[in-house]
Amino acid sequence: MNEKAENACAGSTVPVLGETFEPGKPEGKADGRWRQKLGTRAEEMKYLETAERYWYSKDWPGSEKRKKPA
Amino acid sequence: MAEEERKLSIDPATNEMIAKARVDGASIAFDRAEKMKPCPIGQEGSCCRMCSMGPCRVPAARNRDETPEEKARRTGVCGATAETIVARNFTRMIAAGSAAHSDHARKVVEAFLLTAEGKAPGFIIKDEQKLLALALDFGVEIGNRTNEAIAIDIGKLAMQEFGQQNGELRLTRRAPLKRRELWRKLEVAPRGIDREVVESMHRTHMGVDQDYRSLLAQSMRTALADGWGGSMIATELQDIMFGTPAPVFSQINLGVLKADEVNVIIHGHEPALAEMLAVAAQDPELIDYAKSKGAKGINLAGMCCTANEILMRHGLPIAGNFLQQELAIVTGALEALVVDVQCIMQGIQDVAECYHTKIITTDPRAHITGAMHIDFDEHHAPETAGKILRAAIDNFPNRGKNVRIPDVKTDLIAGFSHETINYLQGGLFRASYRPLNENIINGRIRGVAGVVGCNNARVTHDDVHVRLVRELIKNDVLVLQTGCSAMACAKAGLMLPEAAAEAGPGLRSVCEALGIPPVLHMGSCVDNARILIAATAMVKDGGLGDDLSDLPVAGAAPEWMSEKALSIGQYFVGSGVYTVFGVNWPTTGSREVTDYLFKEYEAVYGGMWGFESDPIRMAKLMIDHIDKKRKLLGLDKARERVLFDMEMRRSMEAV
Ligand code: SF4
Repeated sequence: MNEKAENACAGSTVPVLGETFEPGKPEGKADGRWRQKLGTRAEEMKYLETAERYWYSKDWPGSEKRKKPA
Repeated sequence: MAEEERKLSIDPATNEMIAKARVDGASIAFDRAEKMKPCPIGQEGSCCRMCSMGPCRVPAARNRDETPEEKARRTGVCGATAETIVARNFTRMIAAGSAAHSDHARKVVEAFLLTAEGKAPGFIIKDEQKLLALALDFGVEIGNRTNEAIAIDIGKLAMQEFGQQNGELRLTRRAPLKRRELWRKLEVAPRGIDREVVESMHRTHMGVDQDYRSLLAQSMRTALADGWGGSMIATELQDIMFGTPAPVFSQINLGVLKADEVNVIIHGHEPALAEMLAVAAQDPELIDYAKSKGAKGINLAGMCCTANEILMRHGLPIAGNFLQQELAIVTGALEALVVDVQCIMQGIQDVAECYHTKIITTDPRAHITGAMHIDFDEHHAPETAGKILRAAIDNFPNRGKNVRIPDVKTDLIAGFSHETINYLQGGLFRASYRPLNENIINGRIRGVAGVVGCNNARVTHDDVHVRLVRELIKNDVLVLQTGCSAMACAKAGLMLPEAAAEAGPGLRSVCEALGIPPVLHMGSCVDNARILIAATAMVKDGGLGDDLSDLPVAGAAPEWMSEKALSIGQYFVGSGVYTVFGVNWPTTGSREVTDYLFKEYEAVYGGMWGFESDPIRMAKLMIDHIDKKRKLLGLDKARERVLFDMEMRRSMEAV
């Protein structure tokens, strides 16, 4: 992983990324259905606060740190 | 002769069926477009028929600048200038587009409420997590309440969005803070969905708003009521009822029809009936009934955006995009073309009369003279779906001998909702847009393009979509797609991970690492709202500015034809995105109005319109814009440094 460098569009070189997915082709309907991994309502709420923090976390200033909310 | 030689489609299945239609004597849009030329005055927006003193036609001078005297003469009987006439027509088109998406949404909210109240058999609250997200958006109490109780509150509040008179639509709160401040400052923050559409119709009535800037501001508010209102409500509630899309494998093109099964295509835009048909097509009783008529089974496929809806959620195959609807009948192998609303050509009924296909309309708002009508009512959805499939099965013995199904179909992977894109970049515990932003910052990915919209019989079918998207990915631009544009690229094989081989080295590296295609299918036309959300997540993650207009992104609808596409384009522009349309442009009757949209808009909204019919030049416009934004973000520094180094090296070698 990361042995080879490639030209990026900005003209700089960046390391080639290694594969992060499991090999093989999807088979059957169940593949790809990641949302079923979220179990309880508490887990779902937690996921909203973390993964969807851009909207649902109070502690995520991101690019929008403001003295006064819009 | 030259006309006859114009290539009608790049898709072999389409060309094969056009040839068959001609032999069979069926009238299809490809041929009607040759006979019916567009009215040049209507096309440039210079015809006003707002009152019975007209219609007044005020065409612009062709291929030359007009004199001030000529310009002064270009007014209607009431004195309306070309600027007013063009802006009124443009505003009305957007109002119609916004109304179409939003009336779709209204129907979804009605079905959603019936589902929550337990009055819509067969429908359930499928995606609890999305329900909770909407509850947070709408300020609905969650606690230990049942999903149904939460859904009823959300449904009632969503319904209020249509009739609200003042304030701002709730889902606009999802937009970046800076964007919302701008909308308020410009007084274009949408107040209520219906109010904006009605006000647009009023202000474009004879003798009301007669300043083009003022008219176009109202058209913007109406379009934003679509993108951040109607369309977004439709997408979100459909996800709750039918599931948020996740990666799914399927196939596309007329070759998905089966010679030995009852073929049923569901065509249009609303997913509720299609969802029910998908369930009913698995019913052993109906399959046995099909067998009793000599078929091996029931083959359900989709067309246009209904197809995208059931593809994204169930992996059901797609028979084709907009310009293929008549051609599916021409195969001679289609028992029923079941339609709901939007983008349904009346010509299908005429074509169906040459074959055995039954056209079945299902929505009380959309009838077709001569077609069979089976009203779809959510109170009796499973029964209605069964009735429709029985009608199709009963038609199987009527299939004639003149059958030819093109042996053309392509694999694809769809299902890239915002939620899935977020998840794929880190999994359950680290889901994020950070990897995308980092890869844009480090230059592996140059930027992101949304390529969407229809087919148009005035240009070579699918050609502009596919050549544009190929050029974009070759230049390391990640492409997000919806609608018929997505189908065009799927047919060309661009929605498979292997298509990364066609991408520039940086984008290819990212796609190969994640195992994703360089062109991501995000759904139907209302799902353009997903692109707004994905772009907002990029802003909010940080590192790429603090408004959508700061992002290195661009949009395009290269083969657009519907008023809905114009509304989509306008809400993207109003959200800060440079958006280029192809085919033709409906405001060329006034240079002032066109310059305002194409140039001055950028200073107002941070986004503006563009027009270019050639796909390679269109890609260049979009890439130049992306590079401009990269420069403003300071992301071009590495490039300058490397170029300097190469120059240095060359001069050293020369010594
Ligand atoms: S509103 Fe004015 S420009 Fe339009 S048709 Fe009537 S008189 Fe002509």
